[in-house]
Amino acid sequence: MSEAPHTVKSYEEELKNLNANIIKMGSACEDSLSKAIQAITSRDNNIAEAVIQEDEKIDKYETLIEQQVVNLIALRQPMAIDLRETVTALKMSSDLERIGDLAKNISKRTLLLNENLPKNLVDSLNRVSTNVQKQLKSTLDAYLERSAPMAVNVWEGDEQIDDLTNLCMQEVIKYLKENEKNLEDGTHLLFVTKNIERIGDHTTNVAEQVYYLVKGEYLEGDRPKGTEPIVTGEK
Amino acid sequence: MIKIKAKDVDVFYGKKQALFNISLDIEENQVTALIGPSGCGKSTFLRCLNRMNDVIDICSVKGEILINDFNINDKSCDVVRLREKIGMVFQKPNPFPKTLYENVSYGPTIHGMAQSKQEMDEIVETSLKKAALWEEVKDRLHEPGTGLSGGQQQRLCIARAISVRPEVILMDEPCSALDPIATAQIEELIDELKKEHTIIIVTHSMAQAARVSQNTGFFHLGQLIEHGSTDKIFKNPDNKKTQDYITGRFG
Repeated sequence: MSEAPHTVKSYEEELKNLNANIIKMGSACEDSLSKAIQAITSRDNNIAEAVIQEDEKIDKYETLIEQQVVNLIALRQPMAIDLRETVTALKMSSDLERIGDLAKNISKRTLLLNENLPKNLVDSLNRVSTNVQKQLKSTLDAYLERSAPMAVNVWEGDEQIDDLTNLCMQEVIKYLKENEKNLEDGTHLLFVTKNIERIGDHTTNVAEQVYYLVKGEYLEGDRPKGTEPIVTGEK
Repeated sequence: MIKIKAKDVDVFYGKKQALFNISLDIEENQVTALIGPSGCGKSTFLRCLNRMNDVIDICSVKGEILINDFNINDKSCDVVRLREKIGMVFQKPNPFPKTLYENVSYGPTIHGMAQSKQEMDEIVETSLKKAALWEEVKDRLHEPGTGLSGGQQQRLCIARAISVRPEVILMDEPCSALDPIATAQIEELIDELKKEHTIIIVTHSMAQAARVSQNTGFFHLGQLIEHGSTDKIFKNPDNKKTQDYITGRFG
């Protein structure tokens, strides 16, 4: 609602700095996720190693943002939009940090997988991850543009991720059943799929926070859900 | 329940208009904070509520202010009785240059509220207790009120205001001359007093408005820009001017 600068310039700077760190942290998460998917689908261990190492950078952003938020609350007592900016930054950083952790976990599992995965599984992983990456990008765009409609679009899109995750899970389960030797890879792939879906959930959390930031009220109603998750596979 | 209803209130100092068409409902047994930059009209509005503006020759007030559905701007209004119902506490503690006892008993005396010395003693004790001052001064009731600390003097002024059992207490920046401890004591007192009184407080401290009030009105250039629950005003105000003011983006 208000873009006029604060009378106290240092306060303005602190809020801008907080905002900038969220954007940097979000970009780092986008990058990690993109690389983690690239590493697993192209079976590139160097990229996977890079994702594992870069998680530390994301963790440091979370600590930095937390410190900035505590300082703002203690020293500036933000109100209205500033209060929402501050609280939202804290919550967003927590979800983004989890996204970083999950991307790292995907990469750790990538290092343990065989070189040659069936193409249908790679394609399936690609489908769900492409969708999640788009969602993450849209969420960060919604934050940048302070756009509630964009946040709502992401929120509604979570359903599709659930559906694609279930399809992917079904294929992995089928792969597991095909041969006992597939057990190790298949198990890792199940976790990878679940991690991607959870990244989608954290992305949706961030979208909800963006909505609150812009509108000052919470998104109402149950989050759209896809088909029930496959737990045991077909009998 | 609405205790005070201001309808289309205009105030003029000579030809200069200080308040424009103010309509505001004040809820009973709640604390309403009036905030806004200096000169915005919040104190002028406060002073309309017990016709304190009458003492300024060039000041004229138009519109209706209904307290318990009675228009206090009506010619039939007895201003002395009105000010018995609507007490006031000012920015700077202003005890009378008299003893503590006399400060508190002054109002009840002129309103003939006590039939005996014993009754007056009870009023003084009750008022000082309600103002959270009794324990500190009970052994020196006959010493000058001006000998107290700033915070104690302000609580004495609150005791003096509540001694005539007002329905409404108006507070015009009551903590601006006090240290944080004395401020906290007054804020705690405000929280207690609202159980029996309707309180309207003018404050320059946004944090204080947020801490003590349930409703907040934001004034700017003689207009009431926004009025609503304190919760809403400080988290998600509807008006951009309100947001700019409370976030320090003004001017």
